[in-house]
Amino acid sequence: MAPVTGREPGQGHLHPARGSVLWALGVAGLAAASVAVALAMTGDNLQRPVLQAVLINWIVLPYTLSGIVAWWRRPDSRLGPLMVAVGLVTALSSLQWADSPLLFTAGHLVDMLPPVLILHVFLAYPTGLLQARSERLVVVTGYLVALLPQVAKGLLGVQPGSLLNLVEAAALGSAIEQGQLLAISVLLLVGVVLLVSRRRRTGRPRRRPVGLLTDAFALGLVMLALLFIAGARGWTSFEIIRHLTFLVLGLAPLAFLAGLLDARLARGDVGGLLVDLQQDGVPDLSLSLARALHDPSVQVAYWLPEFDSWTDQDGRPTTLPSSGGSRAARLIYSAGAPVAALTFHSSLEDERELLDAVVAAAAIALENGRLHAELRARLDELQGSRTRVLQAEQRERQRLERDLHDGAQQRLVALTLELGLLERGLGSDPATAARLALVRQELAVALTELRDVARGLHPAVLSAHGLAVALESLVARSPVPVRLAVHVEGRLGEAVEVAAYYVVCESLANVAKHAGADSIEVALASGGGWVTVRVVDDGAGGADPEGGSGLRGLADRVESLGGRLRVWSPAGGGTRLEAEIPCR
Amino acid sequence: MQVAIAEDSVLLREGLARLLTDAGVAVTGRFANAVDLLRFVRSSPPDVTIVDIRLPPTHTDEGMRAALEIRHHNPGVGVLVLSQYVELGLAMKLLSESAEGVGYLLKDRIGDVPEFLAAVERVAKGGSALDPTIVTTLLGRRRTVDPLAALTPREHRVLELMAAGASNQGIADALVITVRAVEKYVSSIFSKLGLPSTSSDSRRVHAVLLFLRS
Repeated sequence: MAPVTGREPGQGHLHPARGSVLWALGVAGLAAASVAVALAMTGDNLQRPVLQAVLINWIVLPYTLSGIVAWWRRPDSRLGPLMVAVGLVTALSSLQWADSPLLFTAGHLVDMLPPVLILHVFLAYPTGLLQARSERLVVVTGYLVALLPQVAKGLLGVQPGSLLNLVEAAALGSAIEQGQLLAISVLLLVGVVLLVSRRRRTGRPRRRPVGLLTDAFALGLVMLALLFIAGARGWTSFEIIRHLTFLVLGLAPLAFLAGLLDARLARGDVGGLLVDLQQDGVPDLSLSLARALHDPSVQVAYWLPEFDSWTDQDGRPTTLPSSGGSRAARLIYSAGAPVAALTFHSSLEDERELLDAVVAAAAIALENGRLHAELRARLDELQGSRTRVLQAEQRERQRLERDLHDGAQQRLVALTLELGLLERGLGSDPATAARLALVRQELAVALTELRDVARGLHPAVLSAHGLAVALESLVARSPVPVRLAVHVEGRLGEAVEVAAYYVVCESLANVAKHAGADSIEVALASGGGWVTVRVVDDGAGGADPEGGSGLRGLADRVESLGGRLRVWSPAGGGTRLEAEIPCR
Repeated sequence: MQVAIAEDSVLLREGLARLLTDAGVAVTGRFANAVDLLRFVRSSPPDVTIVDIRLPPTHTDEGMRAALEIRHHNPGVGVLVLSQYVELGLAMKLLSESAEGVGYLLKDRIGDVPEFLAAVERVAKGGSALDPTIVTTLLGRRRTVDPLAALTPREHRVLELMAAGASNQGIADALVITVRAVEKYVSSIFSKLGLPSTSSDSRRVHAVLLFLRS
């Protein structure tokens, strides 16, 4: 199976040409800011020009800069261009300070656009798109209200010096301006309502910088609305409100940049994430990911192909957020098919590299987990099949022994008896007697051979009478003297007894064959749910646990019961074999 | 002499009964399982019981348990256990307290009718009969310090017969020597092995077995 990857197939990098566009925009932004400063300083009819220059650039520079950064981070989103537009159009509005009538007229035409652009930006955050029809309606209306009355005002001579001036009807123009200002302030307040209702719907963003940013948006819109009302009503505090409004509006892009910075800082935590994920069995993957992404709302969803649905970490069905909302998702692929997904606040889309890194780390963790689970399943399966094979073999051997005992052996014994009776009744013909004796001998040999075969198949005495009795005969037949000590309480499970028996049986045979030992000690002890079998000889040592098939077979038998077999066999130091088998 | 038999194979049970009846032994009970045998022994104890070690229902240790129970509750009734295999450990269990009136033979031994009848009779009279396989195993057992090495081949053979439960007369017959000669061998063996001499055949068997086993 192909490895799990964090990158969607075909996902590309930033196009190099876009870089130069962004540089050009940056230069344009700086130029526009400089022009605004120059116009403020040289304009004749401007009060407190330094303050005006600072205020306008408090909007122009942060918005242009943030816009460029946003555009760079997320080329597919319209948020960046929109923010740049706020900066540049605001700069353009400073043209009304120019002496040239043409520039003045142009500046005047766009004078009302920046607040609507700002409304647009705030409503379109974080995706750059206006989701709801109400939002689109508000923004489009806003643009119309910002532009059309402006033209009318120019025509009616509200602004002396405008090239558009056709008729002198300043009173009508002022009335239009009043209506325009009030309409814009209403639209701004509607924008505030939309923002608040969106927050009520989705909850306050759990990413802290994003939360602050949306607060700044709402406050900015309220201030703007207030400003327009103050302008329309001709409040004396207009100037103060205007300064405060600019101050607040300029804060929004700074909060935006702080969010980006926070996400950038989070990249340092990807290292920590990898350390986190390296530990066995990460308790909660989404918790580690949330920490790394600085977004507590991060969730991991898993794709269940057999159910054709997504599920959360606890196995509850879930759906992925559709694109354009406040939540976004990244898929994690394996062999071209999705296996999991990360969901997070869509503001994180600005941080592609961070997302890539975190998603890659998550992919590694998921892949590791998958491989672990697969390996464990295979091991379990292997262990199970080994146990089954050994058990099936054992059962078959037992069955054969029983068949021999009840069948051939019994019949031969009956035949022996019949022969004995026949012998008695025959009298004393020596030739016949000799032949009968021969037959009896042959029968005895056959019976002995059969008995050996049956014993080799399965030590019946073990099943019937337990380890102590079975081992006593075994040990008595050993060509090397054996000291036997059995401390086993009651009967153990059949499989355990058979394993322990074969451990001793095979060990005694090995010692007799290879060790050249003078004595062997065999000790069995049970307790605490385990039985320990120890066979120690004083022979040559140097036995290779992996060498002979005998020891390997023993280890298989013991391990298939969940036990383990250990062999110490230093050259010249005898051999010590120890098997521990669970017997509960 | 009265004999009761517990053997689940009809062929063998009836064969045994015929063999014994032909030899003038009264077969007072024939049973296919241990429970029936035990009930019979309690109500009308025979001189000796012949018990197959594997009996229904599980064909594992029912016969053995029945034999031990008879030895415990009816010490006067001899018990001869027959089996397809003889195990030293089981012999030691049967003879753990005494070798009096107990026998443990391979089923094959039935074929040698005179020998078998002698064993049955011996056990009935409180003697013992131990299968030669077990005696051979015990005598052939390797020991780090082997006291048997001190025995002459003749003494070795006498010890073998003695351990199997043979009386002095039986040993004399088997080796074609006089009973006096046997007595001389026996006392020599006991002194070489450092065992206290004893008059009873079955105590002799018990002492020798325990000695050989250790």
